[in-house]
Amino acid sequence: MFVTDIRKEFYDIVVNQRVALLVSLDVDALCACKVLQALFHCDQVQYTLVPVKGWQDLGTAFLEHKEQFRYFVLINCGANVDLLETLQPEEETIFFICDTHRPVDVVNVYNDTQIKLLIKQDDDLGVPSYDDIFRDDEEEGGDQDSGNESDGSSEPSGKRRRFDEGAIERRIERQRARREWEARRREILFDYEQYEYHGTASAVVLFELAWVMSKDTKDMLWWAIIGLTDQWVHDRITHMKYVTDIAALQRHVSRHNHCNEDEDNSLSIDCMRICFEYDLRLSLYQHWSLYESICNSCYTLSTFKLWSIQGQKKLQEFLADMGLPLKQVRQKFNSMDIAIKENLRDVIEESSNKYGMKDIRIQTFGVHFGFKNKFLATDVVHAAAALLESVEKDESGTDNFIKALDCLSRSNLDQLHRGIELAKKKLMAIQQTVASCICTHLILSQGPFLYCCLMEGTPDVKLFSKPLALTLLCKYLLKSFARSTRNKRCKILPLVMAAPLDVEKGTVIVMGIPPECETSDKKNFFGRAFEKAAESTSSRTLHDNFDMSIIELKMQDRSKFLDALVTLLS
Amino acid sequence: MPRNCCLHSENEAKSEGRSELIPSIKFRHCCLLRNQRCVTAYLYDRLLRIRALRWEYGSVLPAAIRFHMCAEELEWFNQYKKSLATYMRSLGGEEGLDITQDRKPPKSLYIEVRCLKDHGEFEIDDGTIILLKKNSQHFLPRWKCEQLIRQGVLEHVIS
Repeated sequence: MFVTDIRKEFYDIVVNQRVALLVSLDVDALCACKVLQALFHCDQVQYTLVPVKGWQDLGTAFLEHKEQFRYFVLINCGANVDLLETLQPEEETIFFICDTHRPVDVVNVYNDTQIKLLIKQDDDLGVPSYDDIFRDDEEEGGDQDSGNESDGSSEPSGKRRRFDEGAIERRIERQRARREWEARRREILFDYEQYEYHGTASAVVLFELAWVMSKDTKDMLWWAIIGLTDQWVHDRITHMKYVTDIAALQRHVSRHNHCNEDEDNSLSIDCMRICFEYDLRLSLYQHWSLYESICNSCYTLSTFKLWSIQGQKKLQEFLADMGLPLKQVRQKFNSMDIAIKENLRDVIEESSNKYGMKDIRIQTFGVHFGFKNKFLATDVVHAAAALLESVEKDESGTDNFIKALDCLSRSNLDQLHRGIELAKKKLMAIQQTVASCICTHLILSQGPFLYCCLMEGTPDVKLFSKPLALTLLCKYLLKSFARSTRNKRCKILPLVMAAPLDVEKGTVIVMGIPPECETSDKKNFFGRAFEKAAESTSSRTLHDNFDMSIIELKMQDRSKFLDALVTLLS
Repeated sequence: MPRNCCLHSENEAKSEGRSELIPSIKFRHCCLLRNQRCVTAYLYDRLLRIRALRWEYGSVLPAAIRFHMCAEELEWFNQYKKSLATYMRSLGGEEGLDITQDRKPPKSLYIEVRCLKDHGEFEIDDGTIILLKKNSQHFLPRWKCEQLIRQGVLEHVIS
């Protein structure tokens, strides 16, 4: 059931208990986890934190901890599947689920005792009403009645016969009504569960809990901002929703800023300040050189078509148009001439309008503490995502989780800088892969969707065996392809991407994203499509990820799976 | 006694008419004294370390460490333990005060710890059991974690 008063129905219940926190592996979940940890530290709630990568991990973690804990808090996992069925918990176990995955499974919505959803209800949920899906079976008795009547009698008298006919008719009528109801129920459920999308960031929901209790701090606000920015970077929410949520957070930022800044007692430079920025869409540009950042950001990469020679020339023209000397632009951003840095954003905005980039600037937030440390929210998102999915040797999934969690604290700046370096490598790898895919025409149209398969020997292909990196690659690739192709129909097709996952086991990771469009509502139907295609061809698939649109598949089954998918979606 | 040995050897040498040996005797004596000092210093250092073990590991030493101690050292350790226990009982009223805990001034009742290796199940004061798996994080009462932190199983996370 949905929780109406998050403070009374969630926090006041767990505050005197021991809680198990099961956290999914994405940046929004990490931020939500940090906010909740800070609240728990404040109130001395004992907890155990376990990272979970997918449904199997969730099941294992639950089994290991179910004897010791009665209250489980699931962050960014568990809402979109019937949880009680999957985990089979005891009667007293209670789950608090703070998840952005939609649609929320109907059983989770209508269970009153064990599942509490920490989800804002104005999030446009469209849950079917109870009567449309669940039916208390009262006519079972009616059926039995007529059954008894029909075979209980040994002497069919005239009256009895007429009564029987009436009973049979009623039974037939009831069965017909029931079949109709079931058909309608199937249709309603199909419509409800067909498209996957995401709701408000968990970090924002938990920040609002902290705010309601007046225990919110600037650190928590910053984590909420990072959670929201993560949703935007990985293309999970629409632009409208992003802007609305930014406006909501902006009110909190102003409130925090006004608390402390005063004529007489201004804050020391070491204190944390969050400010609203209408900044450029160039990833990591303040920690890189401007040139590198332009070459490796999705927006500029796809607009200028930087994989081609003409694209490179256009970029040079663009820089010349702004009056930025190449030598300056290739330097580290911090070492650029101050005169250039001062009006950089406005200058870039003006020139980009001429080159067809209308929204080079995006609303976001930045933080700075101390003289050297200035970060934008997107910088931290990229750093944390790179740390979370780092493929360096001797690092297991949980090691990476710990490192990524650490990099979000202000006291672990070296971890954050390390993350930024890894993110730069990741972005460069993505740019090179996109360039090679487009130049070698690796993206093929299969009819209802585009398909691209990364081969085993591609450089940096190990990076793309992880879901977040693969999401970014798909997004960049689709955007670039949509700009570069001349085929009008191909511009609006969705993309399915396959990348090698584990060479020894012969598996690939397959992911589908919705079509690239200005007003896209980011609703993804590939989750259900993959399920159905796998069923119909009995391919060996593993639907382990919390996002239904990312699956693992055996390499040999790839072609028949694709064929089934094509038939399904035509 | 070593000095007596030296004098005795010297007297013997003089009585047998071989006084040219006296410098050698004196030299050898100095070497022996030096060796004795070295060995004594070593043994004393071992003793100090054994004393520190009580503060680090508690009353029961791990078998690996006991293996490297001789019987006399174990005896000394037990005596030291008894002596420390008597002292602790004499402090703080009826129950005594365990001064081997809280060696640094504590900042909070509960601390966040991260598990560095798989330790299995761990019981805390109210009887509940916590599964300590590598890389899991927990928020537990400080006094329960101190022992494990010293052993290197848990790591205190400061954020």
